[in-house]
Amino acid sequence: MEIGLLPQTSEPYDVIIIGGGPAGATAALYTARAGFRTLVVDKGLTAGALGMASKIVNYPGIQEPISGSDLVRRIRDQAASFGAEFVTDKVLRVSLRDEPKQVWGGRGVYRGRVVVIATGAMGRTRRIPGEERLLGRGVSYCATCDGPFFSGKEVAVVGNNDEAVEEALTLTRFATRVHLLSPTAELQSSPELTEEVTAHPQVSLHLATRVREILGEERVEGVRIASRGEERILPVAGVFVYLQGNVPVTDFLGDQLPVEEGGCLVVDENFQTPIPGVFAIGDVLCRHLKQAVVAAADGVRAAMAIDRYLSGRGKLRPDWS
Amino acid sequence: MALLDNDVRQQVVEFLKDLAGPVRLVMFTQEFECEYCAETRQLVEELGELSDLVSVEVYDFQADKEKAEELGIDKIPAIAVIGKEDYGVRFYGIPSGYEFTSLLHAIRTVAAGEPELSEEGKKFLSEIDRPVHIQVFVTPTCPYCPHAVTLAHQMAIASPHVRADMVEAMEFPHLAVKYQVMGVPRTVINETVHLEGAAPEPMVLDKVREALQGTEG
Repeated sequence: MEIGLLPQTSEPYDVIIIGGGPAGATAALYTARAGFRTLVVDKGLTAGALGMASKIVNYPGIQEPISGSDLVRRIRDQAASFGAEFVTDKVLRVSLRDEPKQVWGGRGVYRGRVVVIATGAMGRTRRIPGEERLLGRGVSYCATCDGPFFSGKEVAVVGNNDEAVEEALTLTRFATRVHLLSPTAELQSSPELTEEVTAHPQVSLHLATRVREILGEERVEGVRIASRGEERILPVAGVFVYLQGNVPVTDFLGDQLPVEEGGCLVVDENFQTPIPGVFAIGDVLCRHLKQAVVAAADGVRAAMAIDRYLSGRGKLRPDWS
Repeated sequence: MALLDNDVRQQVVEFLKDLAGPVRLVMFTQEFECEYCAETRQLVEELGELSDLVSVEVYDFQADKEKAEELGIDKIPAIAVIGKEDYGVRFYGIPSGYEFTSLLHAIRTVAAGEPELSEEGKKFLSEIDRPVHIQVFVTPTCPYCPHAVTLAHQMAIASPHVRADMVEAMEFPHLAVKYQVMGVPRTVINETVHLEGAAPEPMVLDKVREALQGTEG
């Protein structure tokens, strides 16, 4: 065990943006260009809805077919060229009423005067049978937290994106074998991660495989999986779930911000939430039309409001008081 | 070699600069036989250097048995965080990694003697008249855990009948087995009721209620 004490803490940023899709990366492009020290915390290029899209042909100004991840990468590169910083991390918790506000990731604590929530709408809706019942008894969502409990055992990781692959690689430090169960025929992770996990001697890759049920009485004993019409039972002691769905991703907020029906965040006309200095943009909003260019436009409008908020120019009157 | 580097020291000094009152870190160790005893001791000693209001006392778990019993310390390494009174705030195992923040929070709130809880929460806890023992199992690499630990410690400060322990699961494997800890944070209340994850205050209070109902009659 390391005696690494405080998680690495950064100097406060002007703007911290959670989520680096079209909304978050465009907001970063504008705030960075306006001279604000900007950090984007993102789970990975292919973590979001656009990053997973294979072909975009209706983004204004880009006529040739482009993959979603390439489009996101271009916006990010443009933002980075103006000084925006990007870090790959999963945000676990935030403290929005502190000054500066704090964003807790798996790799450190990030502090900022303004926080923008641009986490999209790929949160899960459905659970796997057995998942809830066996939570804390072998079902987990955090490999760094719970990996040590599975030393010398076999575990399964359910998912196909960067996060699932990274967590699978983390688990190889503890488990004797990690079964990576991807619902799709190909992993959706970045090429580097895909290559690393495919070549890893402790990882067994199960493609086009769905988990029907998590099995066990007192604790996880296995998973019932289906692949190409055939079902079988894979004996494992732990199941780490990283599947995605289509509801707004707001779980890391706890109860700090109100959500409306459908799980969306609530903002005023400046994209500001009821907490001053906290903004929300893109698919995490219900009123939002789920198109990349609309998300990007949200980012621009929020960035303008953030500029006014941070420079104290003009009053940014919240609708909440 | 120092455990706290200069950066961390500065942050700690900043965090502890407005302490509302004196705090004693009462540490129990035993130089041999305890995996992280030496490091835990060094950690509290280094912390003690960073605030005039934080004092450190080190006891030997065997030789100072009476002191351990007085404070209800039953395993080591242990830290009791004591302010104007002993609120029952304990750390078992080294508060390293993410748990270092839990220790700093405990120092700050114990110094103030004022729990940071909702009014309803404080009212409910102040009316408790039977013992409540909250154990929060953690690993140092768990970013969700300090939330659960700090919440439990606040509840201990709010009621003389509530005591709350952080327990580092890897250092006390027999307890991890006993309480079937396979994921953290796992909060165990009065041996009987448990809760997974970093739950919000009302949910933990409901579990405290449930545990109290279990001891009725």
